[in-house]
Amino acid sequence: MAEFFITLPSKGQRRGGDHLLQVGRAAELAGYTGAYAPFDPEGEESLVIAAGLLRQTRYLRLLAGFHPGIATPVYAAKVAASLQRFSGDRLDWRIDVDLEPAVARAHGDFTEGADRYARAEEFLTIAKGVWHQRDYTHEGRHYQVLSGGFAAPLSGRAFPRVHLSGTSPEALALSLRHADVHVFDHGDDLSLTAELPGLAYGLRLAVHARETEKEAARDGFDGLAGSYESIARRLRDYIDQGVEVFYLEATPYLEETYRLGEHLLPLLAREDVHAG
Amino acid sequence: MPVDIYWRIGTHGDQPSLRRRTPTRGDWAPLAPGNLAPGVRDDYSYLEHMADVARAGEGAGFAGGLLPSFPNTDDPWATAASLGRETSTYRFMIAFQPGFLHPVQAARMTATLQRATGGRVVYNVISGGGGPDQLWWGDKVGHDDRYARTSEFLDVLRGVWGGAPYSFDGRFYRVEGARLPEPLRGQPFPEIYFSGSSPAAIEAAGRHADYYLSWLEPFHALEEKFARVRERSLTPPKFAVRIDVLARESEREAWAEIEQGWDNIDPSVLRGATGDSIGWQRSQSFVTGPVSGHRDLEVTPNVWGGFHLLRGGPAFGLVGSYAQVAARLDELIALGVGAFILAGVPHLEEAYRVGENVLPLVKGIS
Repeated sequence: MAEFFITLPSKGQRRGGDHLLQVGRAAELAGYTGAYAPFDPEGEESLVIAAGLLRQTRYLRLLAGFHPGIATPVYAAKVAASLQRFSGDRLDWRIDVDLEPAVARAHGDFTEGADRYARAEEFLTIAKGVWHQRDYTHEGRHYQVLSGGFAAPLSGRAFPRVHLSGTSPEALALSLRHADVHVFDHGDDLSLTAELPGLAYGLRLAVHARETEKEAARDGFDGLAGSYESIARRLRDYIDQGVEVFYLEATPYLEETYRLGEHLLPLLAREDVHAG
Repeated sequence: MPVDIYWRIGTHGDQPSLRRRTPTRGDWAPLAPGNLAPGVRDDYSYLEHMADVARAGEGAGFAGGLLPSFPNTDDPWATAASLGRETSTYRFMIAFQPGFLHPVQAARMTATLQRATGGRVVYNVISGGGGPDQLWWGDKVGHDDRYARTSEFLDVLRGVWGGAPYSFDGRFYRVEGARLPEPLRGQPFPEIYFSGSSPAAIEAAGRHADYYLSWLEPFHALEEKFARVRERSLTPPKFAVRIDVLARESEREAWAEIEQGWDNIDPSVLRGATGDSIGWQRSQSFVTGPVSGHRDLEVTPNVWGGFHLLRGGPAFGLVGSYAQVAARLDELIALGVGAFILAGVPHLEEAYRVGENVLPLVKGIS
């Protein structure tokens, strides 16, 4: 059974009130696996968004996007440990390694090129080290820990599932070591999955779905536009190619979360999806 | 001037009284009969109990709650972001060490949380107690440098808070063209409660603090400390004191409670803590002479220096009748204290007790 995450609005809640909360609840009602709060330099901060929505939902997973420069790996792991405790292990991490250089520098990150992947590698190694071990010591190039590691009850929770992306050799190597899900963008060469044995594969997709092909037609749309049936067919093709996790994006967020939940997901669900 | 009174939320479980150091709330101790909110049923977690303490604090008239941060606590950012919608006026005082978060990230998290809570974030900036804990966190920076880093951190945080591109090239941080994005701009900058007793701390506090926060000490010592902070600050901050409170209807009842705890002290806890915290060393210096009973630690009336023996945390707190504790708080207000962070165990019930019985007697609150 494929997993479906719906992408959350990140550029402020222009509708006021608590629109984000509505979208999160819609995602839960509509039967999505989770909601994706992306790292958006022009938008709200994803871990705070994820924490709030984890508290306001019961089953929905929250995928929070961030880059390794935001915090020490020990601190990032500690925040995650509390969120896993509070939510029953519903937090996922989407680590964005390949930032635009100007965006990276504006966030205090001057690491460049392949070195960014080495740093991300160290970040995840230490985060997992303190999560799973006591008396954990790691003296790295970017971070160090001396006799660290979480004690009960911070210990023992599921480490957040790690979603990583990228098509460079460094990116693939990092995914092999640390990813649970390797994320492709629409248009990426999916044959790269051959180089990533043992991982789940994810795909980011903007979708514009309507009753008929004619209604759904949009010029210059970078994603899948079409009838519910034709989009379902395309997604099934991807599933046949090994994709197990979809990160759908559709606006306006609230209405389209309902629409896709009502019209698209049922076409892809096993018959027992609503019984579970 | 109004005085803000906060109540602490235990981010590391709780104990039912000062009589014994037996943690019975949350999953911070092995599950035992009588343990509440253990986090094993229906995915209910210790967060549910913290939410109750927050609601109790709000209901009992506190301005908000301090969320402490240590290696074995739940994280204050995670807690505040989870509970933001469950109170309406309650402010979340988030304790954090600047070294662990990047200031741009801290600005983004703060502004996002300010949006979600209607501006109810307060900072308790701590620069670390040193020792093995500091290395546990992955921080090797030495004592005085940690305050220099805190200063830079707060400079960068304020720098990026506005919309204009901000660049900074310091010893600890470097950013280029940083700014909060449009949806996050215009939020109130959180009040800063700043802790630290060393000269380096006082120097940094003078630059950044809205409130200089101290543990309770004998009042004459606090007075001297405040005077030093005033001397070294261009714009003197306001003062805040963190105080454990054991208040009862009568003084006799209050001391009887302490005595029961005293009789149960495990001698091993009498050995001191480690680290380079000046605050800790100071608190040890106020008790002179032999200690043969609990009242030997009452260094001035109602100011008792043995709380650390009965629960984790600082040594000094107030013990007495409701009226005595209120009178001591008024004396502190007269010394220039503008905010309190009070605490007592168990935090839920004591929030109501102190809110209902002590706060109404404090004349200087408003």
